[in-house]
Amino acid sequence: MSAINLIFRRDGQTPGRKRRIQWTPYLFLVVPLAIYFVWIVGPTFYTFYLSLTDWDGISQMRFIGLANYERLFQDRDFHMSFANNVRWLVVFITVPTTIGLGLALIFNTDIRGAQWFKISFYAPLILSFVVIGMIWAWIYEPRNGLINSLLYGIGVERPPGWLADRQLALYAIIAAAVWRQVGYVMILYLAGLKNLDPSLIEAGRVDGATGWTLFRHIIFPLLGPVTVVIVVISIIDSLRAFDLVSVMTRGGPAGASNVLANFMYIEAFNNYKMGYGAAIAVMLFMLSLVIIIPYLYRTIKTEMEY
Amino acid sequence: MTIRRIALLLTVASLLIGGALLAQDDVIRYASNASDEGARELDEARVAAFEAANPDRIVEHSVTDHEAFKQAIRAFLVADPAPDVLTWFAGNRMNFFVDRGLAADLTPLYEREGWYDVYAPGFIELATVDGAQYFVPTDYYWWALYFRPSVMEQAGVQPPETWDELLAACDALRAQDIIPITIGTRAPWTAAAWFDFLNMRINGPEFHRSLMLLEESYTDERVVAVFDYWRQLYEHDCFLENSAAYEWQDALDFMNRGEAAMYLMGGFITDSVPDEIEDDYDFVQFPIIDPDVPIGIDAPTDGFFMAANASNPEGGMDLLAWFGSREAQELAAEMLGRLPTRTDVDLSGFTEAQQKGIALVQSADYVLQFYDRDTTPEMAEAGLNAFAEFIADPMNADVQAILESLEADRVRIAAEQAAEE
Repeated sequence: MSAINLIFRRDGQTPGRKRRIQWTPYLFLVVPLAIYFVWIVGPTFYTFYLSLTDWDGISQMRFIGLANYERLFQDRDFHMSFANNVRWLVVFITVPTTIGLGLALIFNTDIRGAQWFKISFYAPLILSFVVIGMIWAWIYEPRNGLINSLLYGIGVERPPGWLADRQLALYAIIAAAVWRQVGYVMILYLAGLKNLDPSLIEAGRVDGATGWTLFRHIIFPLLGPVTVVIVVISIIDSLRAFDLVSVMTRGGPAGASNVLANFMYIEAFNNYKMGYGAAIAVMLFMLSLVIIIPYLYRTIKTEMEY
Repeated sequence: MTIRRIALLLTVASLLIGGALLAQDDVIRYASNASDEGARELDEARVAAFEAANPDRIVEHSVTDHEAFKQAIRAFLVADPAPDVLTWFAGNRMNFFVDRGLAADLTPLYEREGWYDVYAPGFIELATVDGAQYFVPTDYYWWALYFRPSVMEQAGVQPPETWDELLAACDALRAQDIIPITIGTRAPWTAAAWFDFLNMRINGPEFHRSLMLLEESYTDERVVAVFDYWRQLYEHDCFLENSAAYEWQDALDFMNRGEAAMYLMGGFITDSVPDEIEDDYDFVQFPIIDPDVPIGIDAPTDGFFMAANASNPEGGMDLLAWFGSREAQELAAEMLGRLPTRTDVDLSGFTEAQQKGIALVQSADYVLQFYDRDTTPEMAEAGLNAFAEFIADPMNADVQAILESLEADRVRIAAEQAAEE
């Protein structure tokens, strides 16, 4: 036995020391872990519990079972917010990713002023959501805003009301969010393109691949890991959507642009329905889980393989 | 700017430290929502006057943003120690805390200060729950149909006194390319004012009050009638288009620029009007629809109360006694044009607008607060959403469906209230 051990033993490792647990890393982890449990894990479970009560923030909590969820599933505002979150998700995965990739491919070549363009596309990212929301609310202003002034200028008689229009409000907000996100996606893809192995692309060229074929079969597959990161970031950002909605429309008109996070905020802190707000939070959590679990599963599986 | 901020921070910090060093009894903790510029000046002047008159006392004065205060107050009240004195709103919002035992009984204060004789009875009534007083109503403002005489003149219209005159005014103003009535409904409480007044003018203030107390049904045909009248205004193109894109102040800009003629708004509207055109603002009471119906008006009342677990109840009572005094109310009227709730305040120095506002409120048969102060917070939220849905597409909105959904909310909220009691 010991002979086998000696054979398979790595350098500097003695059989006796192998079983000893290294306590130092855990000691260092105690503080962050404690904070993590107190501030993240604890409140998460507490929210689950809260969603089963009718707490108003002041009075004695009353356990009411699944009544909040029963009401939630019949609540038209919930259906609208949920659907809007899904719409946001779909647009957010596709549009900024495509535009950002396109921009990255353009600016990866040596065109004049590429640096300047890159900076201008990236610039919105340094603005906070509240600032972006206010700027775009002005742009969309129906009578004197930038867009409608242009439309009036070219002779459109009744331009849309944008944020005041129930069909357009949500997409108008998403457009503002996309404007911010595109620069982010572009930077990530640019970094990805810089790291591509030039020899692979050269090999493709030698084999006669050009233009679309080169992109479709060589560059895009090589960018795969970057794309996965971008999609995950987009999913997380779209589920977090709150600031822009809160600033630009407060979910209006009549709930047409509401999303779950804003709906939860209004119920919990405006209507003082902590229990109901918690139930909405749980649903948002579930929605995130359904989307994130496959990704986590994949990541963990690949990590195991290393 | 930054230096001023630092100076302010240092002042606040030294006040806090100073306050902590002194004996607990001498410190009165006062939480205020007076974050707007004018209101804050008044607030600070009131506190300074109290401290000048009571050199041995220190008021720990903290100001929270007006909207944020509505949420923060819940944390304040259950904190230990809670602030001694807090600003708040009369009506349902106050009663909510009284019902939960978070407000101190101020009956001894009313007796000590002899307020039963000097406060208008309607306001004492507003402060009373089950025969005891919990609130010091100090000032109020009125809601009215504001207009710009110069803009109305361009279209040759008089301020409307009846429903037909209002509709005719809309037509005449539109003919001159003027927006008849401006409104910003991004936060839809401005629309609730229209619901309040239409309901009071058509069905009477008593019915409106019962509806606010969740005692009448939202599917009642009388409520349906309110929306029929409301729709008439849209048929006559009375309102600013795409109102949901504007905050109430944004919509006021159209009026300040002379592009719009009228606005249904509270007395605080003039705080946002540039001084040089303030003389060109006037108001009338909401037009009469049915002359046989008693006249109701919204006149929201603000004031103060003391937390039930205040650490310094004697100090709190003394500060409240000052806030509710004649001198303090005169100060508020002078600085901000707020109307006093006491009957012994000298009105001779008041501006014409204030005198007119007082007459408006006193001539009304019923004085209510406002939609979101008269009904429960949750019902108010549901109602505001319903109004927003109606005005998003007033011509095609399914009023029946909107009201049925509101009625379902009312039944549920009323049942929950009953369960709590």
